[in-house]
Amino acid sequence: MDNMIEQLSIGSVSLVTLATAALLLIVLVFVTYGIYFERKVIGWIQLRQGPNRTGPFGLLQTVADVFKLLIKEDTIPNNADKTVFKLGPIISFIPAFVVLAVIPYTENLYFANLNVGLLYYVALSGISTIGILMGGWASNNKYALLGGMRSVAQMISYEIPLVISMVGVILMTGSLNMIQIVEGQAGGFWSWNIFPQIVAFGIFIIAAVAELNRTPFDLPEAESELIAGYHVEYSGFRFAFYMLSEYVYIYAIAGLTTVLFLGGWHAPFAFLSFIPGLIWFIIKFCSIVFFLFWIRATMPRLRVDHLMGLGWKVLLPLSLVNIFVTAIVLELLK
Amino acid sequence: MSGQFIFFMLFSVTAIGGAIMMLNMERIMYMIASAAVTFLSLAGIYVLLHAEFLAFVQILIYAGAITILMIFGIVLTKHEEKREEPKRRFYHISLFAGVVGLFAVFYYVINQSAFPAVTREIAQDQTKEIGLLIYSQYVIPFELVSILLTIALIGAIIIAKREGK
Repeated sequence: MDNMIEQLSIGSVSLVTLATAALLLIVLVFVTYGIYFERKVIGWIQLRQGPNRTGPFGLLQTVADVFKLLIKEDTIPNNADKTVFKLGPIISFIPAFVVLAVIPYTENLYFANLNVGLLYYVALSGISTIGILMGGWASNNKYALLGGMRSVAQMISYEIPLVISMVGVILMTGSLNMIQIVEGQAGGFWSWNIFPQIVAFGIFIIAAVAELNRTPFDLPEAESELIAGYHVEYSGFRFAFYMLSEYVYIYAIAGLTTVLFLGGWHAPFAFLSFIPGLIWFIIKFCSIVFFLFWIRATMPRLRVDHLMGLGWKVLLPLSLVNIFVTAIVLELLK
Repeated sequence: MSGQFIFFMLFSVTAIGGAIMMLNMERIMYMIASAAVTFLSLAGIYVLLHAEFLAFVQILIYAGAITILMIFGIVLTKHEEKREEPKRRFYHISLFAGVVGLFAVFYYVINQSAFPAVTREIAQDQTKEIGLLIYSQYVIPFELVSILLTIALIGAIIIAKREGK
């Protein structure tokens, strides 16, 4: 980071811009085919075909959907607060994209090697909530406001167990640096953090799904009660931005889970390490993404009062106990 | 002109601008959003000072605080309330005089005091250094603050429980 600030020459700025554009392209491709994959998987789980009309195997379905969204009329309600209404999607999207900078893909392929990488991720992802609340409030619509409120309540209460469950991993590694966290898990799948930190992993996954606002925690946009929640008044590309930031967070959470618990780019067995680390990362990453889709297709939605109870009365104490147990065990083993 | 200077200018302008906007805005949502701009710009200045840990903790704490503040702003205030400021001429004149006086005092003090240039190594692993200092040299203030915060937390729960009955 020191070097980054001090060498802000034209060359380094354009290099950073190029790398960012490349990452944006990768993320957009991921989102396009993530949505396609999600609809297919949910279709198969529910004994349907899923999209299969547009293009071969329906591969162009999302492309067509996005195109439709982009050429739609951009509607802003008359009584909406226009500035805040326009700011909402932007504030919600920028942190979603910015947090991707600290995720290391292999030991050489990463964007930023921050000493406080994990803290950076956690801190910036919290800003998105402001965007959602701004959008919900500015729409001047009861359902949108309720959706925004629910979203804030949910994200604030689940952020705490999410962060505290990561502390166990940080204790095991002794660093907030994502690359060092992965390096601490080298040597076979038994040294991945998922096994010593299985409780933390469970809490992390539950809290992550809640942070993503996905089923079974999709109360902020519960169609049957709130129409669509905070983005009910949005259409066209502003709606697309809200959707995009949700899917970019799926990318980020899948990457983060891989880094924190599944050993990042390390192979599960030593004799399999001839396969490059990037491939391992992608395999683990895709299984997390599949897992998220699988949960969505399987679980019913939680009731709103149960949601808060689960977050504060179950996950939070459990994650605190996990920290104590981890600290004690680490001290005894030392 | 270094990149550091450009970013310092940018962050200080947005920090002060956010604070001024917060005081001048009429609607509570705008005020809170301007406060958020100030807090985030301060985090940017911390990054420039190589205090990354502090910077991201600042964002972590204030992003949550801002959203909670927005909720309270929505729930506890009237949505369409318009408020006419009474015209108070004397008040404004004295306010202006006070601001000028304060600026003069600050300017004088800053000009008078010497800032010895201390060069220190920037710690490589700041988080670790902070942790070591908190748990060795500053352990008593740290524990006192944590007791105070725990008491506040328990107090909030007790008050909420009493009202629930």
